[in-house]
Amino acid sequence: MSYAYLFKYIIIGDTGVGKSCLLLQFTDKRFQPVHDLTIGVEFGARMITIDGKQIKLQIWDTAGQESFRSITRSYYRGAAGALLVYDITRRDTFNHLTTWLEDARQHSNSNMVIMLIGNKSDLEARRDVKKEEGEAFAREHGLIFMETSAKTAANVEEAFINTAKEIYQKIQDGVFDINNEANGIKIGPQHSPSNPSMPSSGGGGSQGGGCC
Amino acid sequence: MYVNAYHHSWRRFNFFDKETVKDPDTGQVFDKLKDVNVSASVSGHGQLIVGDHEGFLYLVSRQLKLSVFKAYEIRVSHLFQLRQHNLLVSVGEDEQGVNPLIKVWNLDKIEKGTPVCTRITRAIPGNKPTPVTCLAVHENLAWMAVGFENGSVVLFKGDVTKDRHTKTRIVYENPKPVTGLAFKTSGSKSIFLFVVTDSQVVSINISGKQDQKSTVEHFGASPHCTVMSDHTQDHQLVMGRQDAVYFYQPDGRGPCLAFEGEKLHLQWFRGYLIVVGKENKALLRTAVLGGQSLEMNIVTVYDIQNKFIAYSAPYPDVIGVMCEWGSVYLLGGDRKLYQLQEKDTQTKLEMLFKKNNYQLAISLAKSQQYDDDGLIDIFTQYGDHLYGKGDHDGAIDQYIKTIGKLEASYVIRKFLDAQRIHNLTKYLQALHKAQRATEEHTTLLLNCYTKLKDVSKLDEFIMTKDREVDFDVETAIRVCRQASYYTHALFLAEKHAKHHWYLRIQLEDIKHYQQALEYIGKLEFDEAEENLKKYGKVLMSEVPRQTTELLKRLCTDYRPADSGGLGRIQKASAEEFIHIFVNNSPKLTEFLEHMIKVQPNSPSLLYNTVLELYLHDYVHERDSSVKTEKVRRTEDLLKNPDARYDLDQALILCQMNNFKAGILYLYEKAHLGQDPNLWVQALSYFARKEDNCKSQLMEVLSQIDKKNLLPPLLVIQTLAHNSTATLSVVKDYIIRRLQLENDQIAEDERLIKQYREDTEKKRAQIEEMKTTAKIFQASKCNICNHPLELPSVHFLCEPHSYHQHCFESYAENDSECPVCAPENRKIMDIIRAQEQSKDLHEFFHNQLERSQDGFSVVADYFGRGVFNKVTIITDSPTRQKGGAGTSYPSKHL
Repeated sequence: MSYAYLFKYIIIGDTGVGKSCLLLQFTDKRFQPVHDLTIGVEFGARMITIDGKQIKLQIWDTAGQESFRSITRSYYRGAAGALLVYDITRRDTFNHLTTWLEDARQHSNSNMVIMLIGNKSDLEARRDVKKEEGEAFAREHGLIFMETSAKTAANVEEAFINTAKEIYQKIQDGVFDINNEANGIKIGPQHSPSNPSMPSSGGGGSQGGGCC
Repeated sequence: MYVNAYHHSWRRFNFFDKETVKDPDTGQVFDKLKDVNVSASVSGHGQLIVGDHEGFLYLVSRQLKLSVFKAYEIRVSHLFQLRQHNLLVSVGEDEQGVNPLIKVWNLDKIEKGTPVCTRITRAIPGNKPTPVTCLAVHENLAWMAVGFENGSVVLFKGDVTKDRHTKTRIVYENPKPVTGLAFKTSGSKSIFLFVVTDSQVVSINISGKQDQKSTVEHFGASPHCTVMSDHTQDHQLVMGRQDAVYFYQPDGRGPCLAFEGEKLHLQWFRGYLIVVGKENKALLRTAVLGGQSLEMNIVTVYDIQNKFIAYSAPYPDVIGVMCEWGSVYLLGGDRKLYQLQEKDTQTKLEMLFKKNNYQLAISLAKSQQYDDDGLIDIFTQYGDHLYGKGDHDGAIDQYIKTIGKLEASYVIRKFLDAQRIHNLTKYLQALHKAQRATEEHTTLLLNCYTKLKDVSKLDEFIMTKDREVDFDVETAIRVCRQASYYTHALFLAEKHAKHHWYLRIQLEDIKHYQQALEYIGKLEFDEAEENLKKYGKVLMSEVPRQTTELLKRLCTDYRPADSGGLGRIQKASAEEFIHIFVNNSPKLTEFLEHMIKVQPNSPSLLYNTVLELYLHDYVHERDSSVKTEKVRRTEDLLKNPDARYDLDQALILCQMNNFKAGILYLYEKAHLGQDPNLWVQALSYFARKEDNCKSQLMEVLSQIDKKNLLPPLLVIQTLAHNSTATLSVVKDYIIRRLQLENDQIAEDERLIKQYREDTEKKRAQIEEMKTTAKIFQASKCNICNHPLELPSVHFLCEPHSYHQHCFESYAENDSECPVCAPENRKIMDIIRAQEQSKDLHEFFHNQLERSQDGFSVVADYFGRGVFNKVTIITDSPTRQKGGAGTSYPSKHL
């Protein structure tokens, strides 16, 4: 399938917050109540359209367990977006956000778009973290925030697509150097510069021109 | 429910049976390799191949027959068996020192007990000899790569089996020894070579003009710890490291699976990853072989796709993992051969069922291409299991997957309890979506909806437009109707053109007569007509005005109401609808009046009925002024020249209702004009009268004149008897008559003259034919249109000429011109007809009697030759028309 851009995402957060379920809901539109623990890193992909452009999202779903941290860290590099997920029914998962955020900031490129996600919004009765707290945390750390439910699919599409929109906007603004694949952005096969041997002068600027 | 649902590591199963391989001949444990100092092992094409440090190659057949040959003088170090060809590539040494040699063996060709060696090539990067560390050959036999201890990789391009025409180049250089090499074909053309050292993974696109290298990983792996996966994992390179197993595509790293432990050997077998690892427990189990203790290894078989461990067991120091004959063979440090036989799918599934692990069973069955019946069986079992656990929501989801195979009643029966109506509804919906629903199912589903009072679902089920119908419409209508969901029933009836149902519901249930009427107005003509006949009476009694309007439309210029002026105009016959107007004579009057006005040529029945209605009205009217009006109306109808009422019936009607004016008028209409004698009698009556009755005489005369009842002479004679009749009375009449006679005479004379001239002309023509010569100049045959040749036949008539053979085959008799014959025959027929009719005396008398002008009849008969004595029809040359008469043929032979 042809695409204009490929964005790499990473989903991080404590174990059991619903990372794999979010991915499954987004890529397969289904919910699996019984899910194997992710050991290692898996990935899923889906096409979306932003601003009339086909964008392929390649999403890396990581294991949340502490023991796998060293492996998952190596996947931070080369991600353009991150979904930092906590479980609104478990305060400890919210308390660990700072650690996750530090980890992500340290091992990824500085422009990475991070979206904070409070998952399991369908379990309102068992809520342990107020929505306002999530919003406050996001505001404080400059993240986008959203509460989702992988079970009912509420806001799942929005979470992934809004992140993509943010990345797309950053590309338009010239923040990302899209010629550096380490940023987690790839230009689609047919959108690559027609003459690769041509010296690219000032990557962002010339690309901006091409987009318009 | 979320949290507890997680399993905290991969599930373990025992899907392989371990067996120590025994020699089929002796029944003893296979030990023919017990003294072999194994250096390398591969498998393929029905044998296991083991190389040793003494330079021997051992081939083990399926029957465990061992054949041995010396491949190298000193030792064998590496082996590579191709999958699609029975070719073995080996690396070993023939001389002391570092002198690795590549040998290619054709295992299909055995000469003197030894496979034919087709190629011997020195393996050396550049000019510095260094030991070989790994070897890979592409299946297309065009590429071979050899990795060395000094970190370089040499690529051989060209036919692998031959030494000649191959090109070598160094594609990779790195200080670290090469630990793994693998080819990958991507797409139709690109060929990649993965190079693994213990510090990086590089993919090189070798199919382009220039090698394109990209580093896909910044760490590497030990020897034997890389393997290519098969299509189930998209032919990725799999690399095992201490912490995890990583997957790679040429363009970068893919997923990883964290399996802790030092890995010694990776092998891929039918979607399974086999990992030989060191036991990471502190407690090391050891096996003892000849007083020498062996380290134990753990062999683990992972199902990567379905994420479980299919087998795991300790083995003494595994030195070879081979996949052949559908099994995995492990060569242990004790030189025993262990076979891992995969259990069949059914056994595996049963194991999963026992543990209630249905989801895994389903995905396993799917990945093993289990057939539909089998899968449905699993869904059913899973559904039953969930149902038993009380998870009805989950159960119904499984049962839905069985739709089409599993008997629906099996499921329905389980959920008939009122508590489960939601589940039942869901199942029935799915059943409908799958087009598997019967009438009963539709009924049941609709009953569910109605019982649930779930109007929105019902709406969705029924009212959704542009949706394919997956249920029996009539049943649905019936159920909706019974449940008083009339709007739904109506919607369905309208959408599916079940007019009968629609009207019944409108008329019998909701009594929206107006809408029913509008609906009929939109139907096609035939349907509209039929339905109006059927329901007209009800409609007429409820909404007479609108019904009458529709009927008017139907019987004059009907086309469906919303066809936008298109569509064919059709009309029904009004008389068939009269019965509808029982008890509503004013509307019937209105309707019929309209019909008569629009279509004056309506059948007499209509007029009769109108007349009857008028008269009935008239009789029952008390108010005298209105009565006068009604009289006028009735008279107008009677006097209307277009009115096609039946005279007799009208007369009866008028008499029955004692409508005098009508009776008189009808008599007048019936008798006066018809009997001419009446006028003649009237004339003589007036003529005899002595009073001055000029006006009456004038009237009578004009009638006589108009109808030509009496010859003028007789009129004059009659009037002559009268003393009062003056010339002025008859003057006009006589003048007009005389004038007419004069004109007639002149016309006759003109005709006589014309006929004379015609006759004269014909005579001259006959004379000419008799006396003068005729020249035949035609150059073409009149039949076939080809140039005329002898022998030919000529006719005098046109003249026409023919080939003789054409003439003979075409003409009906040889004395008549075939072209003129039809024309001649017509004339002959006329004459013959006249001849015949002259003998029909009765007919003649009859005609004479009825004729107004007897003389002309007689003259006509005379003209036909009543008095001719001789017959003149046969072969008469005198009857000619425009020179096309019968003529004798003249033959040129």
